[in-house]
Formats: sequence, C-alpha cells, structure tokens
Amino acid sequence: MRRIIAIALNTYREAVRNRIFYLLVGFGFFFALSSRFISMVTVGDQARVLKDVGLGAIHFFSITLVIFTGINLIYQEIERRTLFNILSKPVSRSEFILGKFFGLALTAGLSLLAMAGVFLLFLTITTGRVETPLLLSFLLLYEELLIITALALLFSSFTTPILSFLFTVSLTLIGRVLWTYNEFRPLLRTPLVRGLCRAIYLLLPNLDKFNIQDAVVVGRPLSTPTVLLAMGYGAVYIIALLTLTLFLFRRRQF
Amino acid sequence: MWGDRDVLTLRNVCKSFRSDFLRRQIPVLKGITMTVGRGEIYGFLGVNGAGKTTTIKCILGLLTPDRGSIEMEGRPLDRQSRQRIGFLPENPYFYDYLSAREYLALVGALFSLPSRETACRTGELLAQVGLPEVGSLKLRKFSKGMTQRLGLAAALLGDPDLLILDEPFSGLDPIGRKEIRDLLLACRERGKTIFFSSHILQDMELMVDRIGIVHGGQTTREGKLADLISHSVQAIQIVFTGIPPDRIAEVAPGALERDEARELTVDDEAQLAEVLPRIMAAGGQIRSITPLKRTLEEIFLREVKA
Amino acid sequence: MASRPLRSSLLLGLAFSALAWAAFLQSRYDRRVDYFQDRDVFLSLPSSKTLKVLSFGLPHLTADLLYVWAIQFYATTQYRNRYDFLEPIFQRITDLSPQYLEAYLIGATIMVYEAQDVPMALRFLEKGSRQLPGEWRLDNDAGYYCFHMLKDFPRAEAYYLRASRNPGAPTFLRRLASHMYYLRGDPREAYATWLEIARQATDTLGRDSARNHLYQIKAEIDAATVRQAAQKFRDRTGRFPTGLDELHRRGYLTEVPRTFTGEEYTFDAKKGELVPPRVFRWKK
Repeated sequence: MRRIIAIALNTYREAVRNRIFYLLVGFGFFFALSSRFISMVTVGDQARVLKDVGLGAIHFFSITLVIFTGINLIYQEIERRTLFNILSKPVSRSEFILGKFFGLALTAGLSLLAMAGVFLLFLTITTGRVETPLLLSFLLLYEELLIITALALLFSSFTTPILSFLFTVSLTLIGRVLWTYNEFRPLLRTPLVRGLCRAIYLLLPNLDKFNIQDAVVVGRPLSTPTVLLAMGYGAVYIIALLTLTLFLFRRRQF
Repeated sequence: MWGDRDVLTLRNVCKSFRSDFLRRQIPVLKGITMTVGRGEIYGFLGVNGAGKTTTIKCILGLLTPDRGSIEMEGRPLDRQSRQRIGFLPENPYFYDYLSAREYLALVGALFSLPSRETACRTGELLAQVGLPEVGSLKLRKFSKGMTQRLGLAAALLGDPDLLILDEPFSGLDPIGRKEIRDLLLACRERGKTIFFSSHILQDMELMVDRIGIVHGGQTTREGKLADLISHSVQAIQIVFTGIPPDRIAEVAPGALERDEARELTVDDEAQLAEVLPRIMAAGGQIRSITPLKRTLEEIFLREVKA
Repeated sequence: MASRPLRSSLLLGLAFSALAWAAFLQSRYDRRVDYFQDRDVFLSLPSSKTLKVLSFGLPHLTADLLYVWAIQFYATTQYRNRYDFLEPIFQRITDLSPQYLEAYLIGATIMVYEAQDVPMALRFLEKGSRQLPGEWRLDNDAGYYCFHMLKDFPRAEAYYLRASRNPGAPTFLRRLASHMYYLRGDPREAYATWLEIARQATDTLGRDSARNHLYQIKAEIDAATVRQAAQKFRDRTGRFPTGLDELHRRGYLTEVPRTFTGEEYTFDAKKGELVPPRVFRWKK
C-alpha cells in the first residue's frame, strides 16, 4: 500500500511540475477574459452565458489535461527508462499501475478543484448565487475525468503514445455522442446487426450521463436515483478498465 | 540470511523478440548459463549487443525468458527476490526534478523501509559514495559521475545481498572508476555478492573473481579469472645485458633492443632452458625473466572471433 | 563581398521593406474593393441534430455562442441577403437550447424590426411558448406585434389572454386583452372584462385605469344605443326627441342611461346624439 502511495505522490509531482500549472494559468486567463467579453456582448441573461462558457472551458481543459498527462506520463517513463528503475525494485506491476492511476486522479482532482474554485468565485461575484446542480455537475465531471484517465492508462500500457492519444480522444468523443444510438436504433433491421450495435453501445463508455447541463443551465430538476445510477456506472466502468490494464501490463515485456 | 548456495543460477536462458512489422522472431539470448557464487564479484563480459542488458532484464523480471530458468538461492525469481537485489542501470536516469534525498526517500518507500531508517541510511550512503553535500541538490544538476554514484547509493539503500550493475564504469573518468571500484570492493568485504556487466576489460581485470563471457547471445566461457589466465601462458620474456652486438645473433637470435638492454621472447620453458645457459655462458647478465600471460583482452578477442 | 554581419542586416532590411510594401499595396487594394458591396453571404449551417452531436455534450454552450454570433452578425454586417438565414439560425439556436428565452424574444425582435417579417416572428414566438409554457413575455410580445404591426386585433387579443393566464403575469395584460376586445368592436365584452379587472385590481392604478376604460366604453355603448333610439323616434315622428326622458317615456329606451360614474349625459337634440363625454384616452 505504501508503495502505491509513494508512486502516486511521485506521479502527481511529476505531472504538476510539467503542465498543469501552465494549463491552469492559461485556463484562468482564458476563462476570465472570454466569458466576460462574451457575456458583455450578449443581449439578455449574462449569467447564463457566463455559466455556459465557464463550464465549457472547464470541461475542455480538464479533459485535455487528463489525456495529455496520462499518456505522456507512461510514455516518458518508458522513454527515459525510469520505468526500469522502478520495476526493478520490489514493486509489483499492479502496484505500479495503481500508483500511476491514483497519482493522475489526484492531479485531475486538484486541478479541477482549482478551476472550479476560480469559476465559482467569479460566478458568485457576478451573480451572487451558487446552485447545487452546479456543484454536482463538477462531481460528475470528475468521475468522467477518471474514466478518461483509466482509458489513457489502458492504452498507453500497451501501445505507442500516438495511438494511445488517438484511441483515447476517439473514445472520449464517441462516449459523448453515444446517446445518438437511441435515435437510430429503430433503423436497424437484422437481429444480428441490432444485437451487435447494442453490444457495442453497452460496452463503450457512455459519458452523456455525467452531463447535467440541463439542470445547471436551464433548471430542469434532477432525479436522485438517476444520478446515483450514473455514479455507480462510472465506478464500475473504471474498475473494469483498471483491471484490463493490470492484465495487459503484467504481461508486457520491457 | 542466505546459505552457501549459489546466489544466482541461470540455466539455458533463451529470449527472442518479435519484430513488429514482419512478425519474425529475432533471437537475442540463445542459451545463457551462469552461476554466481556467494560473496564473489562476477564479471559479465561481452561486446555491445551480445545480450548483456537483456540477460540482466531477465534477472530483474522486466523480461520473461522464453526458455530456461533463473533461480536465486535455489528459488525461482519473484517479487521477494527483488527485495534483496540492488540494481544500477546503464545510463541511469532518475526523476530529475527530485533532489537526492527525495529520490532516496522514494526508493526507500518502494523497498518498504521505515522512513526513519531511510533517512538515516541516506546520510550514510551519500557519504559513502562520495556525495556528502548534495542532499538537497536537484538531480537535473548532477554530473554523470554524480548520477552514477547516486545510483549506487540507491542500489545499496535496501542493504541488498546481490548487487547487479549494468556497465557501472561507462562514462567515468579514471578517478571515478577507481572510486566505484573501491566501493564495490568494500561491498564485497561486507559480504555482498556483486554481478556486473561491462565491455571494459581493464576494469574487470582489476576486480573480478569470476568471469562469464557472452557472445551472440550465448555464454561461451565461464570460470575464475585466475584459471582463465593462468592456463594461457603465452610466452616468456628475457631481458638481459652484456652481450656484445656481434654475438647476439649466435647467442640469442631474434633478440630486440630495448633501451640499453636486449629483450628476447621464447615460446615456452623448454626453450628458456635452452637459451638461458647460452646467455650466461656468453657473459650476459639476466635482468628479468617474465612469463607473459594472455591478457584478458586476448582471451576475449579469441572468444569473440571464433 | 559584404561581410557576414552586413549581409544579415541587408537581408533583414530587405524583408522588412518588402513587408511594408505588401502592407501598402494591401491598403490600396482595400480602397478599390469594397468587401461588402454586392456580396452575398453563403451560410451553410449543419442541421440542428448535427450541431447537437458536434457539441459533444455542451449544447447550451453551442447555442449561446451561436446566439452571440448571430446578434453581432445581424447588427453589423452589410451583406445583402442575410435575412435569408435568420429563421434557420434561430431555429438551430432554439433546437440546441429549447428554453433559451432571450433567443426567442430578441430573435423575434430582429425578425420584426429588421427583416420586417412579422409572421416569421409569430411562428418563432409560438415555438417559444410551446417550450416555455409559463413564460408570459413571449405571448405578450406576440400580442403586441399583432396589435401594432398587423392590426390583427382578434389575434392580439388571443395572445394577450393567453399571456394573462400565466402565473406571475402582470395585471396589465388583462387590460391589453380587453383593449383588444374594444378595438375589435365588441364593447360589451370589453366592458365586462374591465369590470372584472376593476374588481380584482389590487392597487389604485389598476382600479383607476380600469374605470377609465369602463367610463369610455360605457359612453360609447350608450352613445350607440341612444343614436339608434333617436333615429327610430325621428322615423316615427319626423323629429328628434328633446331629451332622453322623452325617449324613455315613449318607450324607445328601457332606461335613461347614465355615465359610468352616475352622471347625466347631455343630449344634443339637433343631432339626435349624445354629446361625447369626457374621454379618457388610454395610454400605455
């Protein structure tokens, strides 16, 4: 356990040193400037635009951060042979992967906290209100980030960084539009095709459920069981990905 | 504590790599068989590409051999084995944003050492390897020699019984080499077993007990250094003075001038017994009689060219 | 042969002066060519569905950005045919974010005042009412456009009525609906509505303004009744009556009408009509 924590902390330190800081600063400025600008330019409710742009920026930056950091970290370890250094110690491969995952989770969590903190502060100053759906949406975003982290880790454990990047980005985007399956499902004819599509639909990460924008922006009411179901799905999916990663990484030759 | 069993035994270890494009198997190790005894310094000798690093990776569990077995003290390798091993890789690279102390703290945690013990030993080890002042210096500022020494300190942190070093002398200046050599010899004094690979013969000659030569993925020769060399007395060199130049051809044909003396090389002791009385009878004074052993270099080159 | 530092400086100088020339020529070109004259803009927007998919989970943000862009586009450009895209753009905005109130209201404003297309605006506001059933401002605007632009009073009245039924709707909407009744030429229903409003009014302004309307409407109702009765009288007798009492005594009026406030009307015997009473013009 201590070994996992040691690796996790080390991973966090390495991530923080490299990119987060600059991305955070970049995000902070981008957010502050652009949302202010855009909300001045709109006619109507400025708070809505502020929220939308801010949330959108946080989504985009945090996901980008997670993907790049996750893929880069493993790649760097292999490139620079620090991986050999670590694995030659009495550390199991599973401990290594778990340590990496928790380190990245810590990184993602802290940076999301900082971004969300800045955003909420901004929002409170401008509009004077903070709504619960907004806080919940950040929690769900975090879970989405963890899924993407696990994906990045999975791919970088067995393939080159470029392919890892492509796969992770593709799956993230697909995950966010997977809801369209329900739209074209009636168009599928043969049972075989229907079954196949349904299987694919169920197995790929369905990220739409972590998006409660309607509740946040428009005020549609949330149903607690639905939210809990979403969070459970996320947890289980992360476990599945990690287990797969452990399986693949244990067999990898260095 | 370990018994008198051999520390490390490799039997016919084979490993092939698959080239991604053509799916052909490229064999790298074709049968490595070695034995490392307790408390000795074992030198693993081979040209670049002979398979030294691959063998070491198999020992460390980074690679899984296709065939053959690797045992430590009679037991197959597992994670517990690595608890007793200290490893120094070739061209070590550490997380360069850490300081020396932070890095050693990390290593200590990976060895599951209590942090207080790690802190203690860090100070000791840094002093031992000759880096007493650099505890808080970031690793990116280390020179090559300092990195090497820090790597050694990290390898020693867990008080390992077996030290594995991959090209520990590469890139060091002669002073650095000597220091590492002294450190390793001191380790042996404390009862550690040392296994290191190199392609620099001089370093080996000065410190190893046993040697294994690997070439083309196979171990071609193994044995005590003394044995390998003593069986190969190549010639005997006689240095003498006092024979006038016109009589050299008669007394000692083939003798060469060397400073103010003459030097004659004969093949074996029989010829020595023949020439020596002649020289002395002719009034010459023998300065020295030296048996020329094959250097390790020559042994090695012979193995390699075969 | 120029030495190395000199040659580097020459090259740099050449580069800069070439750039300066390019800038100069560009500005000359700009003076001759008007980018907006005789230009049609071609906007090919993806369908709402495609936009929603491409939003990757952030449709409201996309709606916002599209909305902000649209406002700027319609406020500043001089493209000739830009109103061709007005409805499609705002349809997409409201498909992405169906409860985007500003988009409906401001979009309708642009449609009416700039594109001069009130039916388009009404269609659009209808969509908004479907998506935001509790929002009275949509029907209010629709009613206003019908009333003011199209002079389509029955329709305006329908809109104002619907608007007034929303919770939180301000009370003047009912006044507006009634005013539409009035303008439609059905004073009796307007009268009844204003009576209701006056009864329910919670403040003096509401009550007084209702009573103003009631006064006026009653006066007109009464004027019509009296005129009709006086005509009949003249047809029978060949002259106009001397006063309202005579009309009443002779049975042409069931009762002597009084103003809303209970005062007597003045009858003009020469014309056979009521003298128009003090009229309170209702102002918005």
